[in-house]
Amino acid sequence: MAKFIVIGERIHCISPVIREAMEKRDPAPILQRAKEQLDAGATYIDVNIGPAENDGEDLMKWAVTTIQNEFDNVPLALDTANKAAIEAGISVYNRAKGKPIVNSADAGDRLSYIDLAAANDAIVIALCSAGSVPADVDERMAFCQQMLEHGMTLGMEAEDLWFDPLFLVAKGMQEQQKAIMESIRQFTEMGLNTTGGLSNVSNGMPKNMRPIMDSTMVAMCMAMGLTSAIVNPCDQRLMEAVKSADILLDNSLYADSYLEL
Amino acid sequence: MPFNQKPQKFSAKINTVTIGTGDKAISLGGESVLPFYTFDGDIENAPKVGVEITDNGIDDSLPGIKAFYDGCASVADMAKKASQMEGADFVVLTLVGGDPNGDNKSVEDLVAIVKEVVAAVDCPLVVKGCSNVEKDAALLPKVAEACQGTNALIMSAKEENYKAVGASVGLAYDLNMGAESAVDINLAKQLNVISTQLGVKADRIAMDVGTAAVGYGYEYVVSAMDRIRGAALSQDDATLQMPIITPVANDSWNVKEAVASEEDFPEWGPREERGIGMEIMTAASDLVSGSNAVILRHPQSVATIAKMVKELV
Repeated sequence: MAKFIVIGERIHCISPVIREAMEKRDPAPILQRAKEQLDAGATYIDVNIGPAENDGEDLMKWAVTTIQNEFDNVPLALDTANKAAIEAGISVYNRAKGKPIVNSADAGDRLSYIDLAAANDAIVIALCSAGSVPADVDERMAFCQQMLEHGMTLGMEAEDLWFDPLFLVAKGMQEQQKAIMESIRQFTEMGLNTTGGLSNVSNGMPKNMRPIMDSTMVAMCMAMGLTSAIVNPCDQRLMEAVKSADILLDNSLYADSYLEL
Repeated sequence: MPFNQKPQKFSAKINTVTIGTGDKAISLGGESVLPFYTFDGDIENAPKVGVEITDNGIDDSLPGIKAFYDGCASVADMAKKASQMEGADFVVLTLVGGDPNGDNKSVEDLVAIVKEVVAAVDCPLVVKGCSNVEKDAALLPKVAEACQGTNALIMSAKEENYKAVGASVGLAYDLNMGAESAVDINLAKQLNVISTQLGVKADRIAMDVGTAAVGYGYEYVVSAMDRIRGAALSQDDATLQMPIITPVANDSWNVKEAVASEEDFPEWGPREERGIGMEIMTAASDLVSGSNAVILRHPQSVATIAKMVKELV
């Protein structure tokens, strides 16, 4: 098995610093966050420009070229509700280090993001939901089947659809956690790649406790076969868990310095 | 149903390490297929064969070796002769005499020999230490200084002395460094990690991951090389994408089959033939397990392995 893929989530327009940098087209804060995440072990960088209804296309193009030029064509996940902006980003995207990821499609209103990925030879994150929280494992699997068939009808390789079980907050939705893990196990049994916004699990928890919950969740999900997650790579405890789980799953050969790699 | 060949393609590849300068320079590695899997993809650089000599001169207990080096008055003469051996791609000088538990030759004496050898040969040169980590830590930086500009490979950097060796070989004199572990995959990886953290360039490192003579726990060697190559190619592990160079001669010529005299074991036949057999079998096994170069001693072994490589790649 290949090593776990960490998609760094810290370039997000919810952050005031990033939002301002995006508005002013100021590369420095964005490049700094990209660098911190890459240094911490991220493989992909997620670029979330929000709804970006006005200048989304221009903004995404700028963000893609700014980040890729600085960091040797680091692969990116293009994250926005604005489809035209994703296509614009892909039009300037360099694939030398990996295909772009379209973030994200679902089995409801956002099904057509799979079409967008298929038309642009991209990876797509396929959220197993049709807008609301899926009831159980079976509902997640039904959405997975629907999106998988949709993608394959469009000529996509199954490996380019990364299924997201929809990670949910533990504080309040405890009963869902086992269903999420079981869904990952079933996706894995089908040979599919998996990902998701894993740190949802610790939403609402005291800040100092979140890394404990996130790192435990990532390790348990990796044991079920999870191949990737959209997380904060600057969370040291989380990254230690990812790297240790990669060793225990034999995704990477052990060396005493493995935590530094 | 017709046979439908599916090549096993890896996107990762082994680093290319170049040893020596000019027309005779050799490159180790560069492939993105398993050893000898030419049906899966090109093997850019065929495995290479090196001839080992030592600072102790000619081993006159073996008639074939004695005859080959006949007339050589110095180690430098031997090096020149070795470089002309049929099938030889490079020469390896092992400074065995430096061992404090053996002849304990001084660093100055050994470096003087290295300088003579550097002057005598125009083929790629590899220098191995004396196997004592403290002595090598003092000796190999001086050897590196003497090899400046030759693009030599200085082997014997171990976990205990990689800082001294790496700082001189890799940083001060910009030569190639051989990182040595003993059939220990985790240490092989660790040594590459800490060497590159020290500042030695990844494409200046070749791994000596160790071997055993065939029949002497050799299955561990196979699994170690196999796992290392697997990590390099299928897991794209950049810390293990260094080519492998394997000293075969010492292990092969020190097992019972190569040591026991014909007087004691008449039914085993001549000792030299037995040793050649061990050397060839071990070298062939190391190459198919993932070595990009082997280091041999006997002219017949060198010619045989070179022929094998030529016919398979």
